Amino acid sequence: MVDILPLSSYPSYIDLLPSIQTCNITNLPENYFLKYYLYHALTWPQLSFVAVVRPKNGYSKHSTADGAGVGSVAEQYPKVVGYVLAKMEEEPTDGVAHGHITSLSVMRTHRRLGIAERLMRMSQRAMAESHRAKYVSLHVRVSNNAALRLYRDTLGFEVETVESKYYADGEDAYAMRMDLSSMWMDWAEIERKDRERAAKDEKDADEGEEVGELGKKDAEKDNEKMVRVKVGRGLGVGDLVEKNESQPAAQ
Amino acid sequence: MPQPLSSKDASLFRQVVRHYENKQHKKGIKTAEQILKKNPNHGDTLAMKALIMSNMGQQEEAFALAKEALKNDMKSHICWHVYGLLYRAEKNYEEAIKAYRFALRIEPESQPIQRDLALLQMQMRDYQGYIQSRKTMLQARPGLRQNWTALAIAHHLSGDLEEAEKVLTTYEETLKIPPPISDMEHSEAVLYKNVVMAEAGKVDKALEHLEQVGYRISDVLAVMEMKADYLLRLDKKAEAEAAYTALLERNPDNSLYYDALVRAKGISSDDHKALKAEYDAWVEKYPRGDAPRRIPLEFLEGDDFKQAADAYLQRMLKKGVPSLFANLKSLYTNPVKRATVQELVESYIATAPQSDGSAEGADNTEFLSSSYYFLAQHYNYHLSRDLTKAMENVDKAIELAPKAVEYQLTKARIWKHYGNMEKAAEEMEKARKLDEKDRYINSKAAKYQLRNNDNDKGLDNMSKFTRNETVGGALGDLHEMQCTWYLTEDGEAYLRQKKLGLALKRFHAVYNIFDTWQEDQFDFHSFSLRKGMIRAYVDMVRWEDRLREHPFYTRVAVSAIKAYLILHDDPDMAHGPLPNGSGEDDSERKKALKKAKKEQQRLEKLEAEKREARKAASTKGVDGEVKKEDPDPLGTKLVQTQDPLKDAIKFLTPLLELNPKSVEAQCLGFEVYLRRGKHALALKCLSAAHAVDASNPTLHVQLLRFRKTLDTLPEPLAPQVAEVVNAEFETLLPKGQNLEEWNNSFASTHKDNVPHQQAGLTCRQLLKPDSKPQCEQDLASTLDSGDITIETAFAGLELLNEWGSSQAAKTAYAQKASGKWPEATVFRLE
Repeated sequence: MVDILPLSSYPSYIDLLPSIQTCNITNLPENYFLKYYLYHALTWPQLSFVAVVRPKNGYSKHSTADGAGVGSVAEQYPKVVGYVLAKMEEEPTDGVAHGHITSLSVMRTHRRLGIAERLMRMSQRAMAESHRAKYVSLHVRVSNNAALRLYRDTLGFEVETVESKYYADGEDAYAMRMDLSSMWMDWAEIERKDRERAAKDEKDADEGEEVGELGKKDAEKDNEKMVRVKVGRGLGVGDLVEKNESQPAAQ
Repeated sequence: MPQPLSSKDASLFRQVVRHYENKQHKKGIKTAEQILKKNPNHGDTLAMKALIMSNMGQQEEAFALAKEALKNDMKSHICWHVYGLLYRAEKNYEEAIKAYRFALRIEPESQPIQRDLALLQMQMRDYQGYIQSRKTMLQARPGLRQNWTALAIAHHLSGDLEEAEKVLTTYEETLKIPPPISDMEHSEAVLYKNVVMAEAGKVDKALEHLEQVGYRISDVLAVMEMKADYLLRLDKKAEAEAAYTALLERNPDNSLYYDALVRAKGISSDDHKALKAEYDAWVEKYPRGDAPRRIPLEFLEGDDFKQAADAYLQRMLKKGVPSLFANLKSLYTNPVKRATVQELVESYIATAPQSDGSAEGADNTEFLSSSYYFLAQHYNYHLSRDLTKAMENVDKAIELAPKAVEYQLTKARIWKHYGNMEKAAEEMEKARKLDEKDRYINSKAAKYQLRNNDNDKGLDNMSKFTRNETVGGALGDLHEMQCTWYLTEDGEAYLRQKKLGLALKRFHAVYNIFDTWQEDQFDFHSFSLRKGMIRAYVDMVRWEDRLREHPFYTRVAVSAIKAYLILHDDPDMAHGPLPNGSGEDDSERKKALKKAKKEQQRLEKLEAEKREARKAASTKGVDGEVKKEDPDPLGTKLVQTQDPLKDAIKFLTPLLELNPKSVEAQCLGFEVYLRRGKHALALKCLSAAHAVDASNPTLHVQLLRFRKTLDTLPEPLAPQVAEVVNAEFETLLPKGQNLEEWNNSFASTHKDNVPHQQAGLTCRQLLKPDSKPQCEQDLASTLDSGDITIETAFAGLELLNEWGSSQAAKTAYAQKASGKWPEATVFRLE
């Protein structure tokens, strides 16, 4: 039985990262350092999911504090048969917050079970809910009919453009995207609850003033935090973190 | 001495710093040299120059310069800071911390030094030091949320959950209005606090907190998961039921939710009817899901099972789901279910309309070929193995669907189980050619080439999907992309061929990849605080602490230790594969050794020529940085180690620390420690193995060997060691024990188990060397056992090598085994 589990949210299956990396390099020609997977898992922990074969006697998760040696290896490190590695676009050229599927694959031996579809749906929903992504984008080889069927027919993606020679071997890619705004959280409702709560908690609370400004402020903050990323496969946070990393105490 | 600069030079110095920050290395060096022209001994400038050089990869020169800088200005915090940064670049964290501390003593208010120190303390897991640093940093800038969060993390990881929670609450209380919903840092920090509460065992408080704050947290799924988890732990059944129902509606492909839902509903595990009804309801709701159909097969029995299995099998066979067998095989430990499944699928084939060209027949082809494919896997599986039938079925499946990669792949696996890797690799190659654009089947084909000890063909296959312009070609790319599976298989293939240099080369490559993965966390100590995704960060830190617990590490460590043991026992092996040491004709061996040395030299020369040829070509990487060539591509330096056992310890220590319950690891630990004369440690391994599996066959032989070692020590153990060792070993194998009786009793208790028989015979010939011919005969008799596998039989053959048996005895054994497994190649002795 194959279970779809979160990679690094709750509960965390982050210890499966080496297995996910192996799943990727077994299935696909586009490969990454483990650090790049870590970068995804630690920057957008809500967006990536992993498909594993349920161990015969169930999982034995490490207790959060210290659980070395709990259960058998098979129960701690179940077989990974698929994953979706996803992120939010860091510098969207169109200025619209949107998600991006960095990599998705399912072992050939575990196809036709709807695993890829489920992985995609989980990630898409999280993009909309957690990051208010307007849409999700991805690239797919023009020759990959199975994937194209999944994205276009099953999930509802549309082809945006054809990117010529996108892949290292010279093949073109379809750039596809799908709108996610229907899954956004209802912020007005949350704000209403905030106000209710504030009114209840503190009788003298001054309500209804800040609400309109809040979203904006944060957009600015996000801009400040933005990080530059190289496109390609061999990247890690070493290239990503801002420059003050090892700045000396001069000046 | 403080060394003041003229105002012009001081401004130049500021420029140096700016160039460094902007990674304008050349400009930085140039400007620094400008200052040094007038002030040749200026410590700070020398230090900055050193730092820039270090960033340019000139570590040695940088260190020399940094030392000179310090000599000139011992009281400069910049010099000390740079000195620390250089150590950090070398990953000598302890020395780096010392240097930072000196710098901080001179300049206690410096934020950058304090921060660099804190990062290293985290990397080194010096939690007390980290707490101190974070407190200082918080005091300096209490307005920054991440300083509060960082202190909370410090307390949390050090085990002080109360303090962690308190710190987080203190910051929250400074917030007059709740931050906007889009503030993910806030959202995550709140959720992090909740996790800390639950971890402290205050599940009810955590639930209450979550219910207050959960509605505005952006990681919706996490909130749902946590809430459901808490509710179930608090036995709030009705609410837990609702929570898990909601989770299932999001993701019906998670069996853990069903487990929890059933518990929440209080359905007894014996009430199969109620359970089935529950799962059926989910099937109706989500007809496409697998879990609610598959799970009932676990608990249903008899006719109920047959009915459910029938429906399940037919549906999946019609869909042609390739993982059907993989999904069912866990049921096979139950012989009745195993037989039922077999019977059902056999019956589908018997009653199916054959494809006779009619429309019905054509529609049915996929169902039929899937059924044959299923049976091929069924008869190939170790619990229901009948390789002849497996082959028949797979051939029928292939006949119906000659282009199906999975079918051809299964045929290769059947050959593997026949013990014929050559044929298996050949068949897998055919599977690869059915879909040359698919890397999965390419990986499989490469793996099978390696299993057939054909390293070149394996790499050749891999090279169809690697970036071959990388330095080192396809193999270089596989290293760079951290392809652990390939490196491990490649090394193991070399190990089987006794090419220890290359084997060790690959094993060390994987070891180094794990080092890189451990190092990878460093940047996140600062990065994650800025990003605010604290739960994931904390999980990562804990995972890194047990990184080498992963089976990938275990496997490579086991193989590396085996290689070092061979090397220790037969140092001549450093020169290449040699016929087995003992019992061989001395002059033959000398000849073989000479030949091996010659071959080694030839290979090295060849490799050197290749390197020269590559040097002529460009070696610039994609980023313009020069990538270094491996100075020891054949592992010659590794294999010519002075102390193989010491090198083995490097692999062994994490293995024993993180996998103490692995009997294999403990048994290997024994072998290493015994050879090093560390009797107490060797015994510790025996005790640990004994605690897990007292009747393990390898352990049985080791117990005897340890007894004999203690009885025949060339010089007595130190009194304190002897006391401990003797007392402890007395509980495992008492001194007064009659060893033959002890061994006979073991053999008769496990008379149906071949590995145990092998162990008993090994002990017998150790105890009574003149019984060896009889033991050899008895070992050959184990081949008559119905349960013996090819792997076990092959282990028996290797045992004869270990015993120093004659060629005649080996041939007799191998011939008998060949008679039993005519397709197997492992028993064909040259």
